[in-house]
Amino acid sequence: MSDYTLCYVGDQALLVEFENEISIEVNQKVRALKYDLERKKIPGMGELVPTYRALLIHYDPLRADLERLKEEVKTSAARMDLTHLPRAVVTEIPVLYEGEYALDLEEIAKLENTTPEEIIKIHSGSDYYVYMLGFAPGHPYTARFENPFSFKRRESPRVRIPGGSIVVQLALSDIIPFDQPCGWNIIGTTPILVCDYRKENPFLLKAGQWIRHVPVDRAEFLEIKRQVELGEYQCRTYERGQ
Amino acid sequence: MGFITENPGVLTTIQDEGRYGYEQFGMSPAGPMDLRAFRTANLLVDNDPGESALEATALGPALRFDQDNVAAVTGADMAPTLNGRPCPMYQAVAVKAGDVLRLGAAKSGLRSYIAFAGGLDVPQVMGSRATALQNQVGGYQGRRLAKGDAVGFRAPNPGLALPRVAPVPPPEGKEAVIRVILGPQDDMFTQEGLNTFLSQPYTVSKDFDRMGCRLEGAVIAHSGDGNIISDGMVTGAIQVPTSGQPIIMLAERQTVGGYTKIATVISADLPRVGQRKTGDVIRFQAVTVEEAHQLWRAFHQELEELKAQLDRPQPSQPVQPAITYRVTVNGRSYQVQVVRHT
Repeated sequence: MSDYTLCYVGDQALLVEFENEISIEVNQKVRALKYDLERKKIPGMGELVPTYRALLIHYDPLRADLERLKEEVKTSAARMDLTHLPRAVVTEIPVLYEGEYALDLEEIAKLENTTPEEIIKIHSGSDYYVYMLGFAPGHPYTARFENPFSFKRRESPRVRIPGGSIVVQLALSDIIPFDQPCGWNIIGTTPILVCDYRKENPFLLKAGQWIRHVPVDRAEFLEIKRQVELGEYQCRTYERGQ
Repeated sequence: MGFITENPGVLTTIQDEGRYGYEQFGMSPAGPMDLRAFRTANLLVDNDPGESALEATALGPALRFDQDNVAAVTGADMAPTLNGRPCPMYQAVAVKAGDVLRLGAAKSGLRSYIAFAGGLDVPQVMGSRATALQNQVGGYQGRRLAKGDAVGFRAPNPGLALPRVAPVPPPEGKEAVIRVILGPQDDMFTQEGLNTFLSQPYTVSKDFDRMGCRLEGAVIAHSGDGNIISDGMVTGAIQVPTSGQPIIMLAERQTVGGYTKIATVISADLPRVGQRKTGDVIRFQAVTVEEAHQLWRAFHQELEELKAQLDRPQPSQPVQPAITYRVTVNGRSYQVQVVRHT
């Protein structure tokens, strides 16, 4: 039995909320509910949008029986079984931690009282969990479960940082899909695209999976970038336990 | 081909019903701001109601056709002309190669729709032809139309039997009552804050685009602050950040948000929000989900009836008043009427 609330979001969506905190335990409930509802194929149920602690359930009021939909959601939320979730996927993200591709690396090292080499080792040393996607297409909100760094945002945000930037603060690390303003420190740059409109499914990542940052040198970075531009590059993926 | 953009107007984009199924990846659905006018325009030219068409904002475009087809203009009255002569709205009109359809400044409302029989020939991205301006994808190269842009018709139907006419909805006044369903975070406001929201007028600010509509008015009081752990968003969500000023999230909204949402505009009233403009006033009225569903069904019913009426064979109609002649032949007087039929 899981603690949740179910509420209306306008006349075409429902929201299921679990505990009001950001944690993988709570997020796994969101993931399990989504998995269960998707397999049920409820008439009129639309897209399911998972976030940190909530699942947004779109429905078509002309096709869905709202009472039945609510019942189905309640049944699924009540019999939540985290053990039946498919194994989580890890996607490797190549990262160049160097020079103009890692504008704040030296400063980060100073802030943390260590060397850039050590910062790279920490950042690429364990997996980050993808809680959700949003803000921009393909943009992952990722974090790990110990605080590897103590620094937070920059004092003044940059007006524009390039797509591909890897930005960090505390336990968080994001991949910026397209040029945008940003107040976080840039630790490195990836040549891969987390959103590539040329592809049938443009999005590289999915909520509930993991990513691992893999250091590459400048030559590897440029070679991967070339392959990405040709649409030929495939990120390495593998399964892990939850 | 189809048409060449002689003048793009202020903001003209290609839209269809929107891009669905990718919100979990952060992709906003886009689509028309006034679904009622958009679907009506498509039905008038015998398209599927969700077919790709043009959305013009504030000041419409001038289009020169290089192929015959049938078009219909709905939504805000931008005093459309065809080759300089007034072009009726809410009515399918035949356009010939060489003709120029020109829309001016909106006299009432904000957004007009121009549909063409057979829709527009732009590629589908993720199953949709809607332009997502924020994400620079879909429609015509992911952007608004610019001077010189040529857009093809996908399946033009110049032989479509006319007339095809829909009733013209009366323009809405400066003040509109927009119905909402409270929540999902209405419990994060004080009772006084909720009362303020439901009783005070809110003015549409200059900050109004396809992403959202920022309103100005009495501050809505939170019980704490305006921040939440980011959750999913729907079109019509009314965010109230800590400033206490509401923002209605629209077609190109983000898919998730970290501000408290006091209420959500009901689906049947969203098209009316899309026609509000700077300086207009909105008052919010709370309704139940059941009422909202009834109004949504009525919205569909209205369009289905229009479709059924348009599909019925139309009697040939006079296009000009009859001209009466008195003719005298061999000393006998006859009254003769001349009527030009379509």
